[in-house]
Amino acid sequence: MGRVTRRHLTDLPGTLGLPVALAVALILALLAFGLPALDRAVPAERTVESGRPYLVGAGVTVVPPAGATLDVTGTRPGTDRGTALFRIEQVRYAIEVEPFDGDLTAAAVRLRQRITGTSGHQITGTQLAVSTAGGLAGIQGGYTAGDRDGRYAVFVANGLTIEVMISGDDTDLGRALPVIDASTRTLRYENR
Amino acid sequence: MSEAVRPGAPRSAALVRQPAFWVVLVLLAVGAVRISQITALFLKSYPVATLTAIVLFGLLAVPFWLFLSELDFLEREPPSLRVLAFAWGGLVATSVSIPGSTALDNLIAKLGSPDLAAEWGAALAGPTVEEIAKTLGVVAIVLIARAQINSVLDGIVYGALVGLGFQIVEDVVFAIGAVRSAGEGDQVQPVITTFLVRGFLAGVWSHTLFGALAGAGIGYLVVNRDRSRARRIVVAGLALFGAWASHSLWNSPLFRESLGDGAVALLAVLVFKGLPPLLLVLYLVRRAHDREAAYYVAILATVRERDLITEGELRVLGSGSRRGAARRHAAASAGRKGRAAVRRLQRAQAGLAVELSRAGADLPDEATHARAAEVREHRATLAALGHPEAVEGTRSWRHTASTLGTAAVAIAVVWVALSALGGS
Repeated sequence: MGRVTRRHLTDLPGTLGLPVALAVALILALLAFGLPALDRAVPAERTVESGRPYLVGAGVTVVPPAGATLDVTGTRPGTDRGTALFRIEQVRYAIEVEPFDGDLTAAAVRLRQRITGTSGHQITGTQLAVSTAGGLAGIQGGYTAGDRDGRYAVFVANGLTIEVMISGDDTDLGRALPVIDASTRTLRYENR
Repeated sequence: MSEAVRPGAPRSAALVRQPAFWVVLVLLAVGAVRISQITALFLKSYPVATLTAIVLFGLLAVPFWLFLSELDFLEREPPSLRVLAFAWGGLVATSVSIPGSTALDNLIAKLGSPDLAAEWGAALAGPTVEEIAKTLGVVAIVLIARAQINSVLDGIVYGALVGLGFQIVEDVVFAIGAVRSAGEGDQVQPVITTFLVRGFLAGVWSHTLFGALAGAGIGYLVVNRDRSRARRIVVAGLALFGAWASHSLWNSPLFRESLGDGAVALLAVLVFKGLPPLLLVLYLVRRAHDREAAYYVAILATVRERDLITEGELRVLGSGSRRGAARRHAAASAGRKGRAAVRRLQRAQAGLAVELSRAGADLPDEATHARAAEVREHRATLAALGHPEAVEGTRSWRHTASTLGTAAVAIAVVWVALSALGGS
């Protein structure tokens, strides 16, 4: 066995001490703050074809509202589930599809629980029955989240729940709701 | 051929005098604040589910912790550094990975497409950020306690502990995510399901394994100083890539749909995705352990005093299974006290080997004398119990039957869990 020499004692990375420790901190900072900064710097919105059905996931499609853009950070299509996030100015219009083995009432209860389970979110008003052009029956209602208002809707189709969440400030939401409601009525499940 | 072990010198300066120690401490404090904030949010919304998740996954950590603590029997890592490694994984690596992985996933969607992110985002973003953040934990330990990284096995143990800390905190976060998604309020059922899937079935193949692989590379980088610096950096890079690739394979959509949803399909996924990295790490552990054991046994072989170590004990000390057999043999002949005495003797003999290796590096040998006295004390205890030598006995049918029975029960439990989760 050899002796410990000066070269050994000044070798990577144990004895570089502070510089390496600062490099470690720098790499961590790049991961924790640099990547999110880069993410914010790259635009997330994409144009979507007006009037054409957009595949959310698991065979569920929707015709996006006129003038809406697709936010790819909230859009993840898939074969058994999926999400789509559209933006109309400052209004957020999100659709989520996932497997579900309950009925419409259970789906509505679940969605309301998820809304109220988020800090600062409260359900407002009463629930109303809604339906889509393709015949899907659903339930819709409203909620508040701090200085933003919101609407929710939920549908159940063939072992799937389709949840719609719309949020924005009062003025923007009032302007966008008619086109979003029209879009929500185009939700369709195609058994593939 | 380079040495399997690089004896570490006792630290020349107290930890508090090392600037690197304070940098690491600040990073741990920042991570602790961030994870505390997240935990407080969870507790506010789902107190019962959060506490259940913390308790369940905390208990899951115990056997992993004990196993990893025993992995390097001959030269155990100090408890403070084991805790540091675990805390780095649970506080620092997780705090960094939550925003980092999300941002990288978003970038994949932006620069590629939402379809690409949906299919491969988890396989690319998570491993890239998480494996780097975890591996830096082993580097941090090298920075503040270089003397404690003496073999590749040390790197494996610290890497695995960082991974374990990460895994436990991540599992709690996923469990509460499942509670929120279920939309049934503060219920524990989603926590139990998450525990079965992520803790029980996927736990073995998860971050502990990936961390061990990356840690092996850092161990090699630090210990094998007879190799060129470029070679060691390449090997460490390859180990990190291996951890990334294993993690990526585990998160990838491969086999997800082609094999269906049944118990057999779930088992096939576990085997195809989890077994290759598990076998690789087991091979590395075995190799690193055997090389380290051969090194320390060779040092002890130079000791000519029978009250310190005998020929039979030299043969036993280098093998984990033989050490266990020697304890069982002592238990059969001298009861539980005999088993405990053999264990303490083996521990002291291992400590003596470590001190002798350091004495060879021209360092003070007071510690060597202290260790030798410790060995003699345990030898005397053992002799008083009528069991003078810590060697193996003949293999008993009881032990064989117990091993087979345990294996059968384990297979049955895994199969029941797979059937329940696979929906068949």
